[in-house]
Amino acid sequence: MLWYKAWLETRPRYVISLVGLVFLSSLLVFSKERQVDPRMVGGDYNLVLIEAHMALATLWVLAVTLLMMGGLVREHAAGSSSFTLALPVSRRRLMAARIGVGVMQGITLAVIPWCAMAAVASIFGRTFSIPQILFHILVLLSGGSAFFAMALLVSSLVEGEYTSPVVSFGIVFAVLIELGDAKLARFSPLIFMFGLDEHRDKRTHLLLGPIPWLQVAIWVSLALLLMWTAVKVIERRDF
Amino acid sequence: MSHAPVIQVHELKKSFGRVDAVCGLNMSVAPNRITAFLGLNGAGKSTTIKMLLGMIAPSSGEGTVLGRRLGDPAESVDMRKYVAYVSEQQHLYDYMTVEQMIRFTKSFHPGWHGEIEQKLLRTYELPLNRKVGALSKGMRRKLALLLAFARKPELLILDEPSDSLDPIGIEQLLESMVAQCSEGTSIFFSSHQIAEVERVADDVCVIHKGRLVMNGSLDDLRQSYRQIDLVFNAVPDEVEFRLPGVERISTQGHQMRIFASGNSEAVVERARAFYASSIDVAPIGLREIFLERVKEN
Repeated sequence: MLWYKAWLETRPRYVISLVGLVFLSSLLVFSKERQVDPRMVGGDYNLVLIEAHMALATLWVLAVTLLMMGGLVREHAAGSSSFTLALPVSRRRLMAARIGVGVMQGITLAVIPWCAMAAVASIFGRTFSIPQILFHILVLLSGGSAFFAMALLVSSLVEGEYTSPVVSFGIVFAVLIELGDAKLARFSPLIFMFGLDEHRDKRTHLLLGPIPWLQVAIWVSLALLLMWTAVKVIERRDF
Repeated sequence: MSHAPVIQVHELKKSFGRVDAVCGLNMSVAPNRITAFLGLNGAGKSTTIKMLLGMIAPSSGEGTVLGRRLGDPAESVDMRKYVAYVSEQQHLYDYMTVEQMIRFTKSFHPGWHGEIEQKLLRTYELPLNRKVGALSKGMRRKLALLLAFARKPELLILDEPSDSLDPIGIEQLLESMVAQCSEGTSIFFSSHQIAEVERVADDVCVIHKGRLVMNGSLDDLRQSYRQIDLVFNAVPDEVEFRLPGVERISTQGHQMRIFASGNSEAVVERARAFYASSIDVAPIGLREIFLERVKEN
């Protein structure tokens, strides 16, 4: 039932985020489709989907930051943490349920809009290979896991009902600005999510193998470290 | 039936920065009784309750709730299976309906009593399909009480339970507390409403500035505390009346007023020895006892 609670708590934000992401990413593909030259070859057309993916990745980060607004610290500010903490469950279990639901929501927020984009492209007779879609989703989710975990940690540290998302958004924009520079781009999870590094073929605009498992592992490890820190913070905190 | 205290704390302390919210609290709460926890605002009642429930870690000291040690997270989780708590704040999950709140809470308590749930739903007239956020403060309080009572816990901890309730709601609450206690639940509740405490409490603990200043059975307190008004032609020195059990003496003109927590017979004897022209011994209500103990400290 803790999962049920976490789901009910985030449901409005999740539904709004999902509808928004599906609508905006589909609209982007649709509008680009109307602008492309009919003689455009497949490689150039891939650029349309790449641009849509970049927009999706940016919006995904914002959506996940909004979704992770919640948890015990926010409940404390709202006054309901006393009820939650009087339940016969450990704080670790409460956090695990919140993280579990958040991860599922984060995955669907990447997969469903990508399916929508592929569907819109297919209406115009354009195809985009499933391995490419999976590759894009993989880099989006692994790079994005750092933002997900950062939002979780901030929501475990910062008091105030709406202070946590404001701080999280601030950190996201700071990362965008500070690590947007070409020299620092390799340290930016967002650039990795875009798939703009050495894995992109400049001619076909496709992501080329092998899958960058090392970078995936680095970003996921960073995310796990941040999540572990968030759990420890909550376990030790007074409410 | 176990006679071990349901709550026992020794030198419990909690500091927030330089402020000592609770400083060296020693307290024992007997089982199968209704124990009131009295104190002024900021006396440390809520902090103590939160330490008992594991929401706040004590700075020092030790204690047990239903035999489980404070400060041990695993034992605290186990203890919360048998303890229900209704907090001072009326907030539950605004995004759930009343029905979802009940279903959610029920899932953590296999011994849930459906008949109590149904009875209280009827008594409190709670709308099952309404979102908690749309309920009035009083209705939210009633829902929180339902969620606690329907578990039939071993120990029920209530923080200012009658806040936001109308007179009928307060009456229903007090009746439910007495009924639950008669069925084996120990109740520990904080309150500012001394009239309510006098109606239902068996025992009283008074906390002031983080320390326990009084702990005992309400009947014993009523029996032992006396206000003694004396009139003298020649008022003797107050020192003559500083006997064991005398808490406070005030003199005005020919009159002397003595506040005694016991030993009032000895005071009367002493007054007679000084030829008091009038001796009036009156029992004292809990309100006066409480105010005296708090003033004194």
